[in-house]
Amino acid sequence: MDILINLLPHIVNGLSLGLLFGLIALGFMLIVGVMELINLAHGSLFALGAYFAMTIINPDLSSWGAIGAWYVSLPLGFRYFLGLVIGAFLVALVGMGLEVCMRRTYGKKAEYGLLLTFGAALVIEETIRITWGSGEQFLPVPKMMSGAFIAGDMIYSTYRFYAAGFGAFMIFVVWLFLEKTPFGAMIKAGAHDSEMVRALGVNLTRLRLYVFAFGALLAAIAGIILTPIWGLRPHVGVDVVIPAFLIIVLGGIGSFWGAIIAGVLVGLVVAIVGAYASQWSLMSMYILLIVVLTFRTRGLLGKKSTLEN
Amino acid sequence: MNQRVAQSSNPLLTNDSGEHSHRVALTTQKTAIITKQMICMFIILGTFPLWSEWVGLYNYLGAEIAIWIIYALGFNLLLGYTGLPSFGHGAFFGIGAYAYGLTQLGIIESVWAGIFFSVLAGGIAAAVVACFISHRRGIYYALMTIAFGQIFWFTSMRWHTLTGGEDGLLNIHRGELNLGFFSFSLSETSSLFYFIFAIVMLVTVGLWRLVHSPYGKALQAIRMNEMRARFLGYNVWLIKWSVFMISGAIAGLAGGLFALVQQSAYPDVMSLHASGLIVMLTLIGGGFVSYWGPVLGAIVFFMARDTLGAMTETWLLWYGLMFMLVIIFKPEGIAGLWQDLMKRREKRQLKVNGSTENASGEAK
Repeated sequence: MDILINLLPHIVNGLSLGLLFGLIALGFMLIVGVMELINLAHGSLFALGAYFAMTIINPDLSSWGAIGAWYVSLPLGFRYFLGLVIGAFLVALVGMGLEVCMRRTYGKKAEYGLLLTFGAALVIEETIRITWGSGEQFLPVPKMMSGAFIAGDMIYSTYRFYAAGFGAFMIFVVWLFLEKTPFGAMIKAGAHDSEMVRALGVNLTRLRLYVFAFGALLAAIAGIILTPIWGLRPHVGVDVVIPAFLIIVLGGIGSFWGAIIAGVLVGLVVAIVGAYASQWSLMSMYILLIVVLTFRTRGLLGKKSTLEN
Repeated sequence: MNQRVAQSSNPLLTNDSGEHSHRVALTTQKTAIITKQMICMFIILGTFPLWSEWVGLYNYLGAEIAIWIIYALGFNLLLGYTGLPSFGHGAFFGIGAYAYGLTQLGIIESVWAGIFFSVLAGGIAAAVVACFISHRRGIYYALMTIAFGQIFWFTSMRWHTLTGGEDGLLNIHRGELNLGFFSFSLSETSSLFYFIFAIVMLVTVGLWRLVHSPYGKALQAIRMNEMRARFLGYNVWLIKWSVFMISGAIAGLAGGLFALVQQSAYPDVMSLHASGLIVMLTLIGGGFVSYWGPVLGAIVFFMARDTLGAMTETWLLWYGLMFMLVIIFKPEGIAGLWQDLMKRREKRQLKVNGSTENASGEAK
């Protein structure tokens, strides 16, 4: 019993972390599921979204005179909201551009897509370095959401809970979208049998473009929500894409709930290991992956996928 | 039937059943041990210290390029010949470097022992990893190599007492190279370069032989169609396992040499970034279509780093863009471009020959 009480805060921590991991993996999962493409640039789009939002929230408008002064005087909450929406939208545009570049690799081996997005990740990261510098930066959050509260004898950050709640909300929205809308049905059908969907008169080329844009949008939203917790550096993308990749494979490629379960599982493992051996917490997830994949070759809830060839 | 009996007496060509005549067909083409391209490369690389300063480069760069040529050639055995994308190869490079450093600092100050242990450590680590991944293909293979690469990288960062943490092992002396009858100091960069160059020659010739052996043909059969290779009677798992181990051992060798040159070993070379760079470098050079792809790739990469890097601080951006363009428009890389050029010339030659024949025919 004692152990359970001691563990409780770590479990709460782990659950919130797991929801955040799930949020990161959402956009990644969408692109993998529909296009059977591993988007290694996911993490860079994540970082790019956060940088865009940061610039929108706290722009350097000294040369704009009155308009600039007016904008900066707007409440932070409003600017934060603006940053979230516009930043995510801009990243969706970048994602569309990337998808257009990807087109020549369709129908070839999956490695080409992987390599192309690796190159894209490098390019985006270097662009961030040039534009915003390579130092650690700070993404402000509205006052309402910052601060901390005490429960039991642990101090929790308020923002973390908002973020986890938002993660759960986004997971729910994406689930609704995939399950309850005709667009979602089209996406899933396109993943299942693209030729048939094309024959039914769906413009698959455009569908792929939108799906990629949507995936990029989700990456950017995750970035804007998460960087206040994890800090904003140009190479935050690499730190993020690997857990996302890992969660998808752990959950099973093409499985929505598999990814969410895997996200929560990874969150719990990282938090609990972190409580006892903090240095090794991030490594525990790789070991988890290897253990699971050794026994369940397609992940927890995975189905057969063309990526195996 | 007679042929079959003769064949099964050769253990290299047969397995237990001894009736895979296609293997004979695969091995009948003779390949020269040393080719024109090889001599060309050896001459260009071997004379590097003579002309490097003249074109504004420096000797140390030659040593670096030579090490990465070894690394990339070993890597391409996996990527180009067997079609297995490893995104965690930096781990074996790093393990080789640490093994070299630990041998020098902890056991014995000998270049040969260091290199021996770096090859051994790289090979053993790769053999263990290969046990977990050899039944996999494609993206899952890539992912598992990433996961293992990250584990090794993490361990090297955290295991302070052994690896020195993020700073790594420092003060590894270059020492003396004992050749039996005489020994010379490796502290001078040009003697160091020639030592590494000798190893490059050995590795180049050795791998060239390997990829043109029946084993090398089996690797290519696996790349083209793994299932077909299995149906033809190859033990695909064992071949994939062994090629990963060989590739890891060569990466370990390169890593050991890297520690010798840098006089230190640190975890940076094991990161995902560094592992990705070797993939990029091999592909830009054209590892998919040519044995020489990785060599070209290593040369282009370091030249780009030094020339572009001198002009702008953002050379990685340009290199990344170049890589994207290569993947989009010419996945066969520089070697592929070269082959296209040669083919076009050949065609033109044929056309010219054809037209002269026609002309002479008309004259008759």
